[in-house]
Amino acid sequence: MFKVSNATGGYGKTVIIRDVSLQVGKGEIVALLGRNGVGKSTLMRYATGLISPMAGTLEIDGRTAPASTAKRVRLGLGYVPQGRFVFQRMTVVENIAVAAESNGHDGKASVEAAFEDFPMLVPKAKDLAGGLSGGQQQILALARALAIRPRILLLDEPTEGVQPSIIDEMAGVLKRLNRERGISVLVAEQDLDFCLSIAERAYVMEKGSIRLEIDRDSLKADAALQHELLGV
Amino acid sequence: MEFDYLATVLLSSLASASILLIATIGLAVVFGLMGVINLAHGEFLMIGAYTALTATQAGVPFLLSIPIAVAVTMAIGAVIEILVINRLYGRIFDTMLATWGISIAFYQLAVLIFGTVTPGIGMPQYSIKIGDYNLAGYSLLMIFVAALMGSFVYLLMTRTVYGMKARASIQEPAMARAIGIESSRVNTMTFSLGCGLAGFAGAILLPIVPATPSMGFAFVIKAFLTVVVAGPVTLTGSAIAAIGLGGGASITASFLTSVAGDVFFFLITAVLLWLFPLGITAGWRRKM
Amino acid sequence: MNMLQVLNEKAGLVFPAISILTGLALANSIDPYLAYVATSWVIFGLLGLSLDIVWGRGGFLSLAQTAFYGLGGYFGSVAAINLSFVFGSSVIWSLSVGMISGALIAGALGLIIFYARMGPLQSTILSYTFTLLLWSVSQSFKIRLGDAVIGGDNGMSGIPGIVLAGGTEALDPKGALTFTILVAGAAYFVTYKVMTGTFGRVIDCVRLDIQKTELLGYDVRRYQVLNFAFSGGIAGLAGALFGAWSNYLNPSIFSVQEALLVPIYVLVGGLGTLAGPFVGAIAIGGLSFWLGGGAVGGQTTLILGIVLVLLVLFLKNGVLGALRQGMARLLPDPNEASRNAGAVSIETGDLEGILQAAEEKEGPAKALSSAGLLKKFGGVVPVNDVTLSFEPGKPHSLIGPNGAGKSSFLKTCVGLYKPDGGHVTLGGEPITNATIYSRVHTGMGVKNQKPQVFSELKVRDNLWIAAFSRLRDKRQAHDVATTILDMLGLTEQADVTASALSHGQQQWLDIGMVLCLAPRVVLLDEPAAGMTNEETRELAKLVRILARFTTVIVVEHDMEFVRTLQGHVTVLHQGEVFADGDIDQLRADERVLDIYLGRREHV
Repeated sequence: MFKVSNATGGYGKTVIIRDVSLQVGKGEIVALLGRNGVGKSTLMRYATGLISPMAGTLEIDGRTAPASTAKRVRLGLGYVPQGRFVFQRMTVVENIAVAAESNGHDGKASVEAAFEDFPMLVPKAKDLAGGLSGGQQQILALARALAIRPRILLLDEPTEGVQPSIIDEMAGVLKRLNRERGISVLVAEQDLDFCLSIAERAYVMEKGSIRLEIDRDSLKADAALQHELLGV
Repeated sequence: MEFDYLATVLLSSLASASILLIATIGLAVVFGLMGVINLAHGEFLMIGAYTALTATQAGVPFLLSIPIAVAVTMAIGAVIEILVINRLYGRIFDTMLATWGISIAFYQLAVLIFGTVTPGIGMPQYSIKIGDYNLAGYSLLMIFVAALMGSFVYLLMTRTVYGMKARASIQEPAMARAIGIESSRVNTMTFSLGCGLAGFAGAILLPIVPATPSMGFAFVIKAFLTVVVAGPVTLTGSAIAAIGLGGGASITASFLTSVAGDVFFFLITAVLLWLFPLGITAGWRRKM
Repeated sequence: MNMLQVLNEKAGLVFPAISILTGLALANSIDPYLAYVATSWVIFGLLGLSLDIVWGRGGFLSLAQTAFYGLGGYFGSVAAINLSFVFGSSVIWSLSVGMISGALIAGALGLIIFYARMGPLQSTILSYTFTLLLWSVSQSFKIRLGDAVIGGDNGMSGIPGIVLAGGTEALDPKGALTFTILVAGAAYFVTYKVMTGTFGRVIDCVRLDIQKTELLGYDVRRYQVLNFAFSGGIAGLAGALFGAWSNYLNPSIFSVQEALLVPIYVLVGGLGTLAGPFVGAIAIGGLSFWLGGGAVGGQTTLILGIVLVLLVLFLKNGVLGALRQGMARLLPDPNEASRNAGAVSIETGDLEGILQAAEEKEGPAKALSSAGLLKKFGGVVPVNDVTLSFEPGKPHSLIGPNGAGKSSFLKTCVGLYKPDGGHVTLGGEPITNATIYSRVHTGMGVKNQKPQVFSELKVRDNLWIAAFSRLRDKRQAHDVATTILDMLGLTEQADVTASALSHGQQQWLDIGMVLCLAPRVVLLDEPAAGMTNEETRELAKLVRILARFTTVIVVEHDMEFVRTLQGHVTVLHQGEVFADGDIDQLRADERVLDIYLGRREHV
């Protein structure tokens, strides 16, 4: 479904990720774990095409992804960046509608669908996104990414700076969407608890490379590994 | 008699405020949406004026020359965006300096091509009488043109998909791409639209403001101050600032001297900036 | 240090000195007409220097420099016309009056701009409207002052040339050029001295992060006004020289074209280099002279416009910036050490020593309390009648859901927000409406969520500037900075530029800067954000020790971190105090779980 092969990239001449390969199957939720600065976000940006690659390829649904970010989105790549980056001076409705319309979907219908998934956004519909709290912005960023009707969703630190009750809600919605619509998810996280609650499998990164791949139960059982890798 | 005079002054001041607004809207779009201070805005006005002038001299009816002027300025605007502006987004003072460079280069080009003095075109001679005073009909028409232009831009930006894409692309360019917007193309379009609006202004104002190479300088300073005073809610803010500053200056000028009008304009601008450091609309929760 | 490094250090003295000597030698050998024209280039360079002081160093693009220049010219010339007979010299009067009037006018304008807390764009525009106002007023401003006649757009003529002493005979073009070079050189060296000294360092900090500078206890607006006045003085000096050079002034000196030429000189030469504007002015003057001399006809403006665009696009650092970068490539990389830095580990003993010394010098910890504190933003009330008291002994944590008002409460205590009601006291003293810097002097230390370090300064200088704010003594500040450097284990990175440090190290450096202030109460806004777990553990250790000596207030999201602090916890909800206790009590409280903690049982 989604496959990164031998990805090498970074900023300017600095290499941050080196020779990374991973894949996410159809309808699978996979976590990307690791400490700060190991290159999780860079890998995410690499996959979206927001940084130009030094080497490696990307496949979405068996097709080689084009270089342009916008074209990758058309193939079904949804992205929620670290730090949310909602469109501050646009309303909640516009944030969702513009994402839908840019991919040929009906804006109105998409907004309604989003409000069903995230009822907490309904009272804020006409507010400017910049006025929302951090947690609400995070939900909006997720709703916006879903409005493009993605087949693979990349989430970068979705729990950062979000209160625990909203994290729980987010986990619930992600699991449901995954079940009902078969959306694959790759989530980069430091919150191990959150990851263990939604992901079946995880890649652990270290110094810009994948150090190992592990399933949920093994990771849950292996306290020493948890401690060593994540400092939990 | 007294009343007639007052009405005349008010109407003509509203007309000059409208002229200022017409000249400003393109700048407001480019600045408000893209955060780019386009100091070459006045030269796009000048290019619009010269295009319309050249077209009418070649026998094209004046009304038809206006869309030609818009097309020409939009094309030049798109080229400038691709060559210069798109490398400088987010660097407000750099864009100011670069567009100032473009401005003086265009000015000098106009001098080389057209010389410093050019004939105006005949102004459509309708006038309206209020008591003993005559008001030029074409100037009054500008009030409606300004209102029309403002509404057009407002609706375009808030009610259309293009408008949403334009705002998204400039607020978070990378994120706009990540939801499938070809943001660099949209930005080129928006900048070119702003230049087209300047071209429109230059052409439509041609019967009142004759084309000269330096006409841009005269307009850009006041247009620029209007936009900055307006603050983040650009369009509505610019309309208010144009009426307040332009209208006020014109009233002052008709009672005192034209220098007093300028002094009024600059002094009130300074006071407003002092009272509203981030523009008069800084606290507003509106989109445009 | 080898020769090259010494040269690099002293480049701002050596090369200008060589250039001045060369200029003086040339002044006596070139064609008098060229000498006459070249004098104006040097004057424009001096005008450019005045902009570089406020823009390149102070970070404010002022378009009022030509206003000070013009006013300095007018005032200086009026003085010269009327008073030359007193000592038989015109320049004594014109230069001093020009300089003083420029400085005073800039100072007055600066008071308005900087104390109104305008945005950067608005400040630039306001400075521009000032110039425009003068331009429109001066067109019709006519007055007779003694022998001087200011004639509106007819200008003012009859300004005496450069008369040094005892006579009426003005210097010839060669002499005038020599004199101008000497004056400009003196102005440059004075500026260099000021800008490399303590004042200049603070100005650099203001440019890099004005909020942090104030949080270190500097009265930033005063520094900004003084710097602006200094630049106005230089501009006025240049204006007076210009009047003497051209013997005539008119309102075009305030024109748009003049105002916008100045940034070009600065950009061509190199922003922030001080010597650059002279290079820029001479290069552009020379180019115009050559082009105007018939090489390309009258297309100077066109070429200048294109040059400006190309400069902005491709040569951001100007000629001198490019040279400096070239030179840096020949030297060893000063940031090499940043790559060998290991994980931070706090030296507990050192830390206790530092805190003890601070306590001896600055007195015991102070309590911070708020009574009925209120802050509104439109309809939102992020701080609603909050009465809290923080005492030394144990760390205090403030937690609460997003939007509960934790950060707003903190910012209102710090003075970043003005309260709409209620009081704040620090150690019993009311500080509700005190300025931020005076709160810092009373003993408040603040660390914001993002690391705030002065990116272009060395690690050691970051700490030094913090310590100097408190001690006002270079040597003592150096000693304190060194101790803190050791405690953080950053000694090897002392000469590294702060921006080269990793995110985590910048957080530690920021904390170190707060410790340099020897604060009596410390406020930390989400200090663990973006830290690794190891670093978070070290931080908890530091906070616990810190709380034994001072009052510590921590706003945090990371519950694990709050728990390890073993302190007192207050829960805020919708701007109000919701619950209070230690973390275990709160975890047992159903209401708190509902609003904040959630149940951690994912669907």
